[in-house]
Amino acid sequence: MLSNERTTSQVYSDRKVSPNLKENEQTLTAIFEHCSDVVFRRLTLHDETKLLLVYVDGMIDKDLIQSSILKPLLYEGVPQGLGALDTLAQMCDQELVAALQTKRVSAFEEAVDLILKGSVAFLAEGETSLLLADVSRFETRSIEEPSTEASLRGTRESFTEQLRTNTTMLRRIIVTPDLKMESNQVGKLTKTEVVLAYIEGLATPSLVDEVRTRIKAIDIQGVLESGYIEEYIEDSSYSPFPQMTSTERADVVSAGLMEGRIAVFVNGTPIVLVVPMTFWDGLQAPDDYYERFLYVTMNRWIRYLFALFSILFPSVYIALTTYHPEMMPPKLMMSITGLREHSPFPTVIEVFMMEFMFEGLREAGIRLPQQIGPLVSIVGALVIGQAAVQAGIISAPIVIVVSAAGISSFVIPRYRFGYPLRMLRFPLLILSGLFGLFGVAIGLIMILSHLIQLNPLGTPYLEPLAPTRNSKLKNIFLRRPRKRMS
Amino acid sequence: MKKTMITICLLILTAAISGCWNLKETNQLAIVIGGGLDASEDGRLEVSSQIAIPAGLGGPDTGTNKKRSFEVVSATGKNFMDAGQNLQAQLSRTLFYAHRQTILIGQRLAEQGIAGNGMLKYLDMIVRNPKSEMRSVIWIVKDGTAKDILATEPTFDPLISTTLVSVQMALGMKPYNYREFLCDSLSKGGGELLPAISILPSTKKFIYSGAAILDKEHELHLTGFLKPDESYYANWIIGRQKTLTVTSSESQSNGTISLRVMSLRKHISVNKDLHGMRVHIQLNGSGNLVENNSSLDPSSAKDLKTIQSMLSRDAEQAVVKLIHKAQEQYKVDFLGIGEIVHRKYPREWKSLKKNWNDTFIHIPITVEVHLRYKDPGQTNSSI
Repeated sequence: MLSNERTTSQVYSDRKVSPNLKENEQTLTAIFEHCSDVVFRRLTLHDETKLLLVYVDGMIDKDLIQSSILKPLLYEGVPQGLGALDTLAQMCDQELVAALQTKRVSAFEEAVDLILKGSVAFLAEGETSLLLADVSRFETRSIEEPSTEASLRGTRESFTEQLRTNTTMLRRIIVTPDLKMESNQVGKLTKTEVVLAYIEGLATPSLVDEVRTRIKAIDIQGVLESGYIEEYIEDSSYSPFPQMTSTERADVVSAGLMEGRIAVFVNGTPIVLVVPMTFWDGLQAPDDYYERFLYVTMNRWIRYLFALFSILFPSVYIALTTYHPEMMPPKLMMSITGLREHSPFPTVIEVFMMEFMFEGLREAGIRLPQQIGPLVSIVGALVIGQAAVQAGIISAPIVIVVSAAGISSFVIPRYRFGYPLRMLRFPLLILSGLFGLFGVAIGLIMILSHLIQLNPLGTPYLEPLAPTRNSKLKNIFLRRPRKRMS
Repeated sequence: MKKTMITICLLILTAAISGCWNLKETNQLAIVIGGGLDASEDGRLEVSSQIAIPAGLGGPDTGTNKKRSFEVVSATGKNFMDAGQNLQAQLSRTLFYAHRQTILIGQRLAEQGIAGNGMLKYLDMIVRNPKSEMRSVIWIVKDGTAKDILATEPTFDPLISTTLVSVQMALGMKPYNYREFLCDSLSKGGGELLPAISILPSTKKFIYSGAAILDKEHELHLTGFLKPDESYYANWIIGRQKTLTVTSSESQSNGTISLRVMSLRKHISVNKDLHGMRVHIQLNGSGNLVENNSSLDPSSAKDLKTIQSMLSRDAEQAVVKLIHKAQEQYKVDFLGIGEIVHRKYPREWKSLKKNWNDTFIHIPITVEVHLRYKDPGQTNSSI
């Protein structure tokens, strides 16, 4: 995107801070040329000392600057007289600037970075370094309820776009210095802060090293979402299955960390990644560990059944009705045939048409503005469901099959884990349309062998089922009472 | 990656292009829901099929213009499949045998066979043809043809073929399907019992009419019928009956007592000594008193004993009569005694099995029936 020629600001950024304030000001003005939101504020103290404040408007706490820096300096002057201090900046640092984080910098490049992130730069005549005080304060979204991972029981807090807010939430839950949060900067233009969080002693050091190396190796213009980072960390980019949990819930991240996993926070997005992930994580909800175990075990089984149902139902329906009608109960076959009597299309085509319509409705439902959202359901239910059947274009069983399979894919608690199941339905449809149950079996074997060889970050995807770990296996099929959990 | 994709595409294309696509929609099939075998007037095999019309069965009820739910088509031919092909000539959809619920065999075919051959010959197709259903229940039509039965409309289901599956269960029998019949009829010697059905002329509905006796030593030729009452006891002895109501009259007050026998057990013992073979049939059953119109009071031990012995005696008499019928009238062992002899004396059986029925009719058979009550019912003496 950027040409090899360096921009003016890049050229000037290489300069060092000179003792001449005028020169420094020129450099900064050149760097921030056409940046209307950057403010230069010149001050003269006692007619002799010149001071320059540089900051980005809207990103700093103006009240703080006014009350604790500008007013004392202008009205009262230097507190103990200039003689007692080496530099003006030192004075500001020690006496006046009531900011927690300050930094002295002598290179413009670093200074510019910090100014853009919400620091105020203090430049004084005759000094070769700048003082940068972090007084950033800008408008952010407040903490809200999780919108994509609702649960009946458990925390109502979801992450926000502010990285610091998010890491704070985690700190509040896991109170130990062993919770490490390594900061990295990714993206040439966005300079996004990416924090690697793990609990020392629980997380495998080699895994932490691996993730750290992969994050450090990322060479990219910008990071707008944790999905960017996800693609760089994951092993099999071609797999339809997600290889890391992405969540907006602090409790899910904490649970992951306490199991020895690693969380990746990315500034600017409420979605946090937890690596590595297994197949079963996709089918577990946070409530699973908050609710009573019997009820949760039943729910788990319902999810497993529906996951299977969602991927197989349409293709098995096609295979049964068109290749193996002898496998259906006679009465069922009679009713299906009776309803199909006037259908103009073969069953395979019907299912394909309805599946496409369903996926279209689903996609439209996400994108549409809220005001016209209900329209989709009306059009979808009435026109496509009822009218198509009444007009005899689509047979009624197909509508049942497609909507049942569609709804069962929404039973899966991790929304994005439903994607591969919905997507893999289509190849299975083709296979069953061509080869019947034999084709479905081939398709399933292919999916299973892919799942078995999937090994994201050294953790087998189907663990503990394959490879079998008997001690953990029970927790997959049952949610055992906490006292008995290993 | 590219190579794999191309390979997959090519594989799918080979299936589609080479025409190896045996996809068949269900509305391209003529679903045979019931099959019937008859001997026609001129002595040829006539196959009738009850074809379900799904539009008349499933689908939304359109009320007034309700379509017919089935059609019976028949054709003659050299054998089952030949007739089937002639049958196909009358239909626009491919015959589909996998959902055949019932096989009916007309009395004439069962009695006379075709060209001197018994019905055993025609049962081969049902097991050989991979597209055929083996779990169809099998019935003999008494005093009629299979074709006529197939054309009747039963009370509950729209199709007679699906109804006949549940008739046996309603009568307290275990459903007896073609697969079991095949197993039983392939062992040599003796006879075989099949349930029989006939049309009630007054209502044009079916009625259970006992059991048909087939002679296994003569290619399953039909030798006669048992009355419904007799068939229950016969089924008890061969282990196909689950419940049975025994009613007996009491002489003193001219009343009747009924016992619904729930757990039917049987024990048949064969013994061989110098005088030859002797068979002892012991039948045990217990159940609830369901009706009592007599002066006996089931709450008193003495009366209860009388009731039990009375019921047992009556049942015993019925079984003795049945055995008499088997040995004297039909001269066929349809009670499965042969199989018990086979198991106990396998060496002797080798020489016996060819003419077992001849041996059977001379064997002395003793019978013992013990009926016990479990529950005297809701009241004491008759109200």
